[in-house]
Amino acid sequence: MPDQLTLAPPPAPSPAVPPPAPAAISTARRRWGALTLLRYAAVLAGAVVMLFPFLWTVVTSITPEGSLADGPRLWVEDPTTAAYGTLLETLPMWRILLNSFWIAVVSTLLQLVTGTMAAYGFARLTFRGKNVVFALYLATLMVPLQVLVVPLFIEMKVLNLQDTYMALLAPSIASAFGVFLLKQAVESVPRELDEAATIDGAGHLRIFATIIVPLIRPALATVAVFAFMGSWNSFLWPLVVIRSPEFMTLPLGLSTLHGQFTTEWDVVMAGSVFSIVPIAIVYLLAQRHIIAGVAHSGLK
Amino acid sequence: MKNIARRSVAPVIAGLVLALGACAQGSATKTDNAPATAGGPVTIRYMNFSANGGHEKDLDAIKAAFEKANPSIKVQVETTPYDAYFTKLQTAVAGGTAGDTFELNYENFVTYTKSGALAELSGVDAAAYKPSLLEAFQADGKQYGLPESFSNVVLFFNKDLFKAAGVAEPTADWTWKDEQAAAAKLTDKAKKVWGDYQPISFFEFYKALAQSGGEFLNSDKTASTFNSAAGKQAAAFLVGKAGKTMPTEADGAGTPDFDSKLFKSGKLAMWHTGIWLFSGMADAPFAWDVVVEPGNAKKASAMFTNGVVVSSQSKNKEAAQKWVSYLTSSDVMTDLRLKTSWELPPVADEAKLASYLKAGKPANRQAVFDSLDATVLPPVVERQQELQDAVTKELTAAAAGRKAVDQALADAQKAVDALLK
Amino acid sequence: MTATTHGAPKAVATTRHTRGAGSRGRAWRNRGWVLFFLAPSAVPLLLFTAVPMISSIWVSLHDWNLISAMRWVGLDNYTDLLTDEQTREVFLHTLLYCAGYLPLVYVGGLGLALALNQRMPARAFFRAAYFLPVVTSWVVVALVWKWLLNPSNGLVNTILGALGLPEPGWWTDPTWALPAVILSSAWKDLGFVMVIMLAGLQAIPSDVVEAATVDGAGPWQRFWRITLPLLSPSTFFVVVISLINGFQVFDQVYVMTGGGPQGASQVVVGQVYDLTFRYGRAGEASALSWILFAVILLITAVQIRGQKRWVHHA
Repeated sequence: MPDQLTLAPPPAPSPAVPPPAPAAISTARRRWGALTLLRYAAVLAGAVVMLFPFLWTVVTSITPEGSLADGPRLWVEDPTTAAYGTLLETLPMWRILLNSFWIAVVSTLLQLVTGTMAAYGFARLTFRGKNVVFALYLATLMVPLQVLVVPLFIEMKVLNLQDTYMALLAPSIASAFGVFLLKQAVESVPRELDEAATIDGAGHLRIFATIIVPLIRPALATVAVFAFMGSWNSFLWPLVVIRSPEFMTLPLGLSTLHGQFTTEWDVVMAGSVFSIVPIAIVYLLAQRHIIAGVAHSGLK
Repeated sequence: MKNIARRSVAPVIAGLVLALGACAQGSATKTDNAPATAGGPVTIRYMNFSANGGHEKDLDAIKAAFEKANPSIKVQVETTPYDAYFTKLQTAVAGGTAGDTFELNYENFVTYTKSGALAELSGVDAAAYKPSLLEAFQADGKQYGLPESFSNVVLFFNKDLFKAAGVAEPTADWTWKDEQAAAAKLTDKAKKVWGDYQPISFFEFYKALAQSGGEFLNSDKTASTFNSAAGKQAAAFLVGKAGKTMPTEADGAGTPDFDSKLFKSGKLAMWHTGIWLFSGMADAPFAWDVVVEPGNAKKASAMFTNGVVVSSQSKNKEAAQKWVSYLTSSDVMTDLRLKTSWELPPVADEAKLASYLKAGKPANRQAVFDSLDATVLPPVVERQQELQDAVTKELTAAAAGRKAVDQALADAQKAVDALLK
Repeated sequence: MTATTHGAPKAVATTRHTRGAGSRGRAWRNRGWVLFFLAPSAVPLLLFTAVPMISSIWVSLHDWNLISAMRWVGLDNYTDLLTDEQTREVFLHTLLYCAGYLPLVYVGGLGLALALNQRMPARAFFRAAYFLPVVTSWVVVALVWKWLLNPSNGLVNTILGALGLPEPGWWTDPTWALPAVILSSAWKDLGFVMVIMLAGLQAIPSDVVEAATVDGAGPWQRFWRITLPLLSPSTFFVVVISLINGFQVFDQVYVMTGGGPQGASQVVVGQVYDLTFRYGRAGEASALSWILFAVILLITAVQIRGQKRWVHHA
């Protein structure tokens, strides 16, 4: 669904800014000017609210013996990177980051491939029981992970996969969420394009690869961000299935910073920064494709 | 029809996987875990939580010493933070992949014994351990675990605040009345200084109950007995502090590290907490000390103990027991724990503990041992966590003024009795 | 599943030559394609989600604390739960959560998308700023939110106090614990709705909007008559996914309130977690999950059935 527009010429950026009737130009402009300013102020204020917790996280991490308990303090008298030092000392951070990154990248790629293919199957093929099969896909989203963890763990033992990368990846090879989002996107690609290609002698594979995939790039980017994030932040499954420290992922590593009795919050917050920055970068890389990409990927 | 025993969910899963596998060519399943190789060194896994957060190296040192003394045994340590430890442990037990040995706190010991997850230990050198601690890890007269460490709760106090308020410092003879009177004088809400802090929870309640001479459960653990005169006194004592001499939840109490920050910032005069915080308070910028907790009808100090057990699933129980014995009674362990303030070793020979008295702040470390003259362990039942949550929930409601103390206590008793059925 | 690997290439090879062949051949070929496109997702979902799901039905018929042998109890777990006061409570809290969360996050996200769909300085920065909370872990941000909403010295109450407004007890007050969770959840997911809606907005052909303008429709009319209906596929996706996820709300509750005070913010999945991992009642937890499953399935089915009435497909 995010991509019907690829067909239209790069859309005018703002449906809400109409070409005004000549007579009304000056008053309209003044009214719009005030409104735009108001809107800008609201968006700005909202962004401050959005970013504040992150700012606070960073500030706490560079405050000597920083603690959330003292309330927000956005000015640090004598900033220090001591917490980052402690963090790198207590945890093999680079190894942990590499693990998390590697697993997130692989599971993202897998979800993109499996999800796009399934989306094409649901949107473009006709077969009996399609709606039932799609409903079954959605049904996999409806049982909480918390209750699946134990059976899945036992299954890993049955398959002899415990404590392996494969076990970490297993539950995220395919995701019904991705299939759903991509299916909506494929459905918004006009069928006329497929039909034209069919007349040219293209089969499913060629239509899939040369027409559908390029046209749903924004949806792919969105799914990629969510797949990466899901893997990057996942805690419960890695916790139970991994026991060797060499497989430790970031959330597991960060959880060890919380002591049974006391916690050094500056170190915890430094860890949070380590967890936020990479995923923020991933989003920034994807954002171009999610939104702006739409204009570039138009009809070829 | 009911009560048909089913061992586990594994066969069902295996069946489903096989059914799926039948669609595919060949079988997806690989061979099961390789059995222990004969002749070569045996590897023993040890799952624990207490080394997390600063004592990982100390545990490694004990492990290294053990492996040196027992070249045929290797120990593989798996440390998980406390918050996540039991989730991981239970799942591992359910999947039949728990470590050969693992750590349990005393509160969880009964649940694991009753579920048949632990192997009985035979030929334990009982003389090495403090008898009361060794007993704590017995069930039906059998030894199912060894005490690994213990710690207790004392009264921390800020000497500077006492001096400034002109109040005499607490002594070992103090009772609740002395504590209440001092707390009232020390509390200065204008300066945000509080007289006292003690979490309103199951753990403080069972102790206060014992201090008042009450019992939590009847002798055969079939019914709770804490809704008594002593129980009411204990609950009223705890709840009565909230908001008067002690910060409430609305003041932030109960959030992580609230109390240690408060004490360390010099805004808390008296603090009931564990000796595990000695090292954290060592650099507090004021004079402080500790004393045996005040009693009511009698003295009773809270004690916590962790034990190590051998899993009934272990294939190398003998080697596993060697490791847990070493971990709980060796001199290497004793010295290390004392040197690094990693709780206290459970050894019987108190002479070995002498160095603890001179290990730095606070000055009155003798109070730690004096407290041991009258300790009380928490009541434990099979459905322990639910019991703890039920009691804490009711007491918290009373502290927040949502319920009368008597009502809360009666409701807690009802909830606990339902768990004992 | 064998057909997956064999069927596909054959189908590729024969596509051109057999066009117009008998309907039976076409049907088989079609079946091959269906397998080819669906199997890569269907196999892992079956193996790593469906198998544990079905196993959990088996668990739900037992009394099991994870560490002991299982004891068969038949449907007792279900009957116990359905008559239990606490089940009613956790479902009520979950429902209240969804009722508060969905409108907040939808209206907020849509408004944001409308605003950020127009040219303005630093637009890309704003889009990133609003999306940042979406990608961060609850474990990280819930801690900060807990402090922002600290009843005694949290920033939110400090500001409310300065404005002369009442300062709620947030997570220490049973009345306010759930709203605190809703607020922080809306904060976190606003960017998700925004991104979906932005993509939807850009898909609206500008000539349609222009035509309406020429016909004399004001901005307000254009929004209700054109933008909103044309956004309906995005709206549909957001509502379906938000409700599926909303009914399984857990992380933020667990980190911020732990279900308290006095269970006032305990939700279904929180109860599932406690039952499984803290209380050793995995059988009941599984049964509760299946009751939840039934509820979510029903709600989703109603939405999918009803979509024909209001969702405009291209």
